[in-house]
Amino acid sequence: MSIDLRAVRRSSSLLPLVALTATVIGFLCLPAYAGRPLESYDLFNLFEAFAQIGLIALGFGLLLIAGEFDLSIVGIFALSGVIAVKLGQAHPLLGVLAALGVCLAFGALQGLVIALFRIASMPVTVGTYIALLGLTRVVGDDQSSVTFENIDTTLWIQQPVAVIFSPRSLVVLAVFVAAGLAFSATRWGRELRALGGDRKASRTAGVPVNRRLVALFAVSSLLGGVAGALSAFNVGAAITDPGSAPLTLGAAGALIGGVALTGGRGNVAGVFAGAMSIVILGQIFFIAGVDELYSDLVFGLGLLLIVAVNAPSAKDWATRLRASRRTLVERALAAPSHA
Amino acid sequence: MSPASPTADLDTIELSPEPRGRRARAAVRREAGQPGTWVLLVAVAVAVVVGAQTPRFFSVDNAKAILVSTGTIGIAALGVTLIMVCGGLVSLAVGETAAVAGMVFLFSLDLGLVPALLLGMAVAAAVTALQGAMVGAWQANPIILTIAAASILTAVGARLSATSAVQPASDAFARLNQTPLGVPVVVFALLGLTVVVQLLMKATRMGRLMYAVGENRAAARAAGLPVALTVLGAFAVAGALMAVSGAFSAATSHTITLLGASQLTFNATAAVLAGGTAIFGGYGSAVRTLFGALLIATITDLLLLRGADLGMQTLVKGLLVLVVVLLGHLRGQQGRA
Repeated sequence: MSIDLRAVRRSSSLLPLVALTATVIGFLCLPAYAGRPLESYDLFNLFEAFAQIGLIALGFGLLLIAGEFDLSIVGIFALSGVIAVKLGQAHPLLGVLAALGVCLAFGALQGLVIALFRIASMPVTVGTYIALLGLTRVVGDDQSSVTFENIDTTLWIQQPVAVIFSPRSLVVLAVFVAAGLAFSATRWGRELRALGGDRKASRTAGVPVNRRLVALFAVSSLLGGVAGALSAFNVGAAITDPGSAPLTLGAAGALIGGVALTGGRGNVAGVFAGAMSIVILGQIFFIAGVDELYSDLVFGLGLLLIVAVNAPSAKDWATRLRASRRTLVERALAAPSHA
Repeated sequence: MSPASPTADLDTIELSPEPRGRRARAAVRREAGQPGTWVLLVAVAVAVVVGAQTPRFFSVDNAKAILVSTGTIGIAALGVTLIMVCGGLVSLAVGETAAVAGMVFLFSLDLGLVPALLLGMAVAAAVTALQGAMVGAWQANPIILTIAAASILTAVGARLSATSAVQPASDAFARLNQTPLGVPVVVFALLGLTVVVQLLMKATRMGRLMYAVGENRAAARAAGLPVALTVLGAFAVAGALMAVSGAFSAATSHTITLLGASQLTFNATAAVLAGGTAIFGGYGSAVRTLFGALLIATITDLLLLRGADLGMQTLVKGLLVLVVVLLGHLRGQQGRA
């Protein structure tokens, strides 16, 4: 039995593994330059930070694997938080369910429009992203944040479980495990990659493209919604304008996780490793006392770099550059010397 | 690629091959067929009807307020038009670029008005051109790229405003707030820049290249056109225009913050799309964007007068973008069928 190594390399890149290893080593070496040993609450904080961006990276990443793009996940993140807080003051679970219901319905509708009209998701989700941010502010009574009065719930959701986890981070990790199983143990993973790799071929091969797209956009919205509600309960307030941070970090996580902006590549384990690397890097900056402004700068530049590396023509460009250099060298070597 | 220079043909390409007599009528038909035109007409009709029922809407002061905000939105939107026409989709860093350029402008005002303005424009043009180079040469994803740029600019802007209060280094900016003939300078600037950008797009080789690249990038590349350079150029001019918008905002309020940055991004994007420029490039004009900006400023003003807050204003603009994108797509499909 022979293994097609090229196929393995195509489907899973080494990037997430390398990034995770490098950041973990950096994290373990922290005492050397932070001037204090690592404590258990550093790990707790790590998983809390992961809970903040992990699900956005996952939702964004799953859609990218299928060749789609969902900017609206940031809007959903904000909207879900505000709904969960407003309706959940007395009964938090009710608030979360209402928020997730809205997210699911919105995501399915968005997916339906995109699938039925076969319209590019990028411009559509730019529109829904702006509209959702507006709607969030309307629902949030035009305040920059809505306070969550239910302090018991906030204390419950951020309490330590098994020292390094919290109910919030456990939910996020459980979602990752479930998504990972669904991705690798069922046909969905292969179907998603097929959708992103060659839409026409997967349609011909019998993949129910439209149904998958609707489900996928619904899932992505749901993930953004879970992240938003958890985050709002945890902070004790829903922020109506989350800014670009959730998407910057989430997208960086997905891309470092081996998901290609051109679709057809990546998996859940990769996204987990990618998002975790980003989070660990953030914690390294935090513990080492790096100014937040500089760490923002580093993340922005990092994302810029990954987008550049991920660009479809970047590889051709590099190849052309190498080729032209080679021909120059060859020409120089071949040229008769007149010395 | 053929050895003969295929780029030379570009100057002689007739964009509309019809004979002259029919050309004007065909142009009218073409403009009328654009979904943006109808959205614009319907929106203007709605604005007039709603405006008639809104107290204080038809007043000189209100007209002036609308014109001023048309100015700052419109100048930035002219830049977004260039980005969109050449296939760069959108920039989500419009507001951040304008804000940081506005800070540079305010801080360097002791050099004088024009040098300060030029410095702000140069910084914004360089930063935006860099993004254009990556979109043009490598087809980098413009949305994530510009979001990354926005977060970098936010960090830089926060640093600039953290070390010293953002205030003008001299009062040379006051000339930007004058109202010759009773009309604010920013309106003249918008009209002037609209003419300049319209000429750039329609009457120069660079403009023809932009349409060609936006219409069909692969074909433009195959024809040996300088795709990367064209997109870089469009982004550079766009950055300079964002800086001008930022300078006017900074002059009006004597300071500038990053707080309202995303609003300018949304307004400019909505203005360009409402004006009828095609989201995937190849079609659009500066004059269209001028009307789009007027529409967005009017809608914002109407909503404000009727007591709608920032949330409702943003919601309406988002829905407008969505409707224009959907209509544009449906019409494109009809054309193919």
